[in-house]
Amino acid sequence: MTGMAALQQAGHLTVAGASKRFGAALVLDDLSLAVAKGEFVSLLGPSGCGKTTLLRCIAGLLRPDAGHISVAGRDITTLPAHRRNVGVVFQNYALFPHLTVAENIAFGLRAQGVSKSESAPRVAEALALVRMTEHAGKPVTALSGGQQQRVAVARALVVRPSLLLLDEPFSALDRKLRETMQVELKHLLREVGITAIFVTHDQEEALVVSDRIAVMNAGRIEQLADPATLYGRPASLYVLDFVGQSTRLAGQVTEAAGGMLAVQTALGPVRAPGQFAPGSRVVVAVRPEAVVLGEAAENRIAARVREVSFLGSRTQLHLDLPEEGEDRGVVELPRLPEGIGPGSAVTLAFREADTMVFPAP
Amino acid sequence: MSATALAAPATPAPARRLDPLALLALPGLAFLGVVFLLPLLLLLWSSIRGAEGFSLQGYVRVLGDPYYVGVIGASLQLGLVTTLGALLLGYPAAFALARAKGGWQVLLFALVFLPLTVSIIVKSFGWGIVLRRDGILNWAMLNLGLIERPVRMIFTEGALYAGMINVFLPFMVLPIYSVVRMMDPRLPDAAATLGASPWFRFTRVTLPLSLPGVVAGVSLVFSLAVAAYVTPSLLMGDRYMTMSMVMAKAFLNLRDWQLGAAMAAVLLAVAAFVVVGASVLQRRLGGR
Amino acid sequence: MERLGLGIAWTALVLVILFLLLPIVVVIPVSFTEATVFRFPPEGFSLQWYAKIRNVDGLLGALWLSARIAALATALSLLLGTLCAIALVRGAVPGAAAITTFMVSPLMLPGLVLGIALLQAAREVGLRDAWWSLLLAHVVITMPFVMRTVLGSLSLFDFAMVDAARTLGCSYPVALWRVLVPNILPGFVSGALFAFIASFDNYPVSMFLVDVRTKTLPIQLLNYLEISPDPTLAAVSTGLIGLTVLVLILCDRLVGLRRMASI
Ligand SMILES: Nc1ncnc2c1ncn2[C@@H]1O[C@H](COP(=O)(O)OP(=O)(O)OP(=O)(O)O)[C@@H](O)[C@H]1O
Ligand SMILES: [Mg+2]
Repeated sequence: MTGMAALQQAGHLTVAGASKRFGAALVLDDLSLAVAKGEFVSLLGPSGCGKTTLLRCIAGLLRPDAGHISVAGRDITTLPAHRRNVGVVFQNYALFPHLTVAENIAFGLRAQGVSKSESAPRVAEALALVRMTEHAGKPVTALSGGQQQRVAVARALVVRPSLLLLDEPFSALDRKLRETMQVELKHLLREVGITAIFVTHDQEEALVVSDRIAVMNAGRIEQLADPATLYGRPASLYVLDFVGQSTRLAGQVTEAAGGMLAVQTALGPVRAPGQFAPGSRVVVAVRPEAVVLGEAAENRIAARVREVSFLGSRTQLHLDLPEEGEDRGVVELPRLPEGIGPGSAVTLAFREADTMVFPAP
Repeated sequence: MSATALAAPATPAPARRLDPLALLALPGLAFLGVVFLLPLLLLLWSSIRGAEGFSLQGYVRVLGDPYYVGVIGASLQLGLVTTLGALLLGYPAAFALARAKGGWQVLLFALVFLPLTVSIIVKSFGWGIVLRRDGILNWAMLNLGLIERPVRMIFTEGALYAGMINVFLPFMVLPIYSVVRMMDPRLPDAAATLGASPWFRFTRVTLPLSLPGVVAGVSLVFSLAVAAYVTPSLLMGDRYMTMSMVMAKAFLNLRDWQLGAAMAAVLLAVAAFVVVGASVLQRRLGGR
Repeated sequence: MERLGLGIAWTALVLVILFLLLPIVVVIPVSFTEATVFRFPPEGFSLQWYAKIRNVDGLLGALWLSARIAALATALSLLLGTLCAIALVRGAVPGAAAITTFMVSPLMLPGLVLGIALLQAAREVGLRDAWWSLLLAHVVITMPFVMRTVLGSLSLFDFAMVDAARTLGCSYPVALWRVLVPNILPGFVSGALFAFIASFDNYPVSMFLVDVRTKTLPIQLLNYLEISPDPTLAAVSTGLIGLTVLVLILCDRLVGLRRMASI
């Protein structure tokens, strides 16, 4: 219970030790999470890891088998969904097809007994907020994907929820629209100043929109951190894999002193900061933009270029590593050096400080 | 913490219990079980029960008598002809209906739908007026100079088939229509871009996609037509005996329950065959 | 070739519609004839056959009985069928496919067989009351129509909408009422309409269950047709046709006819 109290102090929303089982499958596994007021947190994880289940528990659409959920210091674990005042934007929006845009947005106000005259200006305000005023009278079935998404956001916001939950709100949109809507939503939510949790399985999207990201794995939160930390200092191989790309080498610690490790890999020795006992099996990893071609850093390994991808502002090289295998390395350069192409033999160099070490799986 | 969680599952998985929502199916199931399934079983039971215990006498009388075998054949023939006629007329019509645009579709649909809602007695009665010696068809053909004097049409087999098709045609058109309407019209177009000829497109794309509707329509029309009672007795009377008519006679006039029950069992077997066959076919088609 | 196909399809549709309407439409002019037989073309114009409807023995009583039985049977099978459909769509029901087939199988079952089976069962348990056995039988007859349409519209319904309504402040029952009900109403209405017609128009099942005092409309009509075929029957039929058209227009206004296509 003391842990619960500590969590509650830390956050506007706190989930403490939530578990949920469906039959034999443990979908939420003793999961804890604290979100500060006004914060925008993403839940990032592969399909089936329990993101939607967690959201449904927070919204009150599902009762966790164990654990507590509280908002603004109040335990709402047993409160039914319609009394929680938690706004939800559903995966496919779940707009009511028998109602117009304005009626959809007014639905929550009417359900809570707000009079017509009182709800009208608030609906108008919400319509203006998502720039849908001119579509107010249309049936929702006549809207484009982006417009439907905006209506869903307005419908959830108009009741002034204490918390907004969004379940993959952009998954039905095309890439271009998705990018615009991401920025638009981030801006809108900051303007409203609401606490929001946002589910996605698209890591780039999570990096763009959120203040902090919770990476989920099999019903647990693997790491909760701001985007820069998550990318630069992943807490586990799982997070490293899930967020961004990397070059990885298997090895064994040969020497450990003063917080520095010497690791013997199939491609030669590599030095990196870390705390492991000599003899431990580990994986060393480096992010693609931390690597240069040549000899300009302490750690060096030989590789062969497999494929070159031009990404506009950068160029990516995919590499075959001798002993490790094909397409195992990735390097990102500002521009492609003269004379380098598929088949070229190169030397990769990266700084000790940029090298990460994880226990071998 | 994670170590203990790994060591043993926190709580044993709850035993698989019935989803409480599933219980909502019970009242309906129980009702049909008692008022529908049980009486049918009882009927089957009575078809193998003679004066003293078990007896197949009813079946021997039905299947051993050329007259009753003829009746069964006639019923099947009536069902087949009706189904075939309805399919030939209904399939293209359902296509046109599904491809009609906007207001036209509503109107045409209503016109196909309306006859379905008109009493079968009214329709059979009207069909009689059409076919009578002094009816509308004879009158029209006389005035067009196609015939010299009125021809006898009512109480002929042709008239029976026409009347049956008339009554059951909507049951063919509507299922096909609702499948074709849901069909993506771009699929045949896609086939066209792959170089398929119209005939190839129809037989390899359109036809297979519309098959679920055809199966639904055919099974529905056949099972209704093979068991028809009102239309054949109004349009043909005793001149064309169907299984249903024999049953009605056996129960209501002859009071011969054994004969009636055995005939009912045969008819039931035909119906069950169609129901099961159709649902197997349907699942196969759906599985693709 | 393409055009030929379309041409055939459209010709077939026009023929089908003319063919289907023919026996219905011919009844109307005959009902206004002055002659005492159905001869075509009808002679003169009179409303005498409509006036005679009142005098036909038991006709209005049969109409009332059929309407009551159809309405009650429809209501009962809507209740039972909807519950069952909800379970099949939302619950983990073992053998759901088989249950669905069972629930709609009375539609394909020979009506006479059902009638005889019910008659026999009613005698077996000592149910002598024609009214009750008719009602029970008609619930069986109407169930498949309700199951098909309600199951169809329920499986198209996105239940996330109910969750959405709940998070917006509706309790579970209120959410069902305000979101589920308006969305599956077309299925309900068409299921109810089909069910009502199936019951109202049923002959082969009812014929075994009626008694002298309790006769449904189709039984009474056919009786009359056999005993004294005169244009009164055309007048009654015309009235019934008018009633049907009225109901159809009403349903179209309510939910749109095309949404009701799924029989
Ligand atoms: N009502 C339920 N009954 C049984 N199992 C369920 C139920 N809801 C979810 N599950 C299971 O729980 C697991 C997690 O589901 P959940 O919907 O939370 O995943 P998710 O992370 O949202 O995935 P996605 O990215 O695909 O939406 C899945 O394996 C799913 O099959
Ligand atoms: Mg999900």
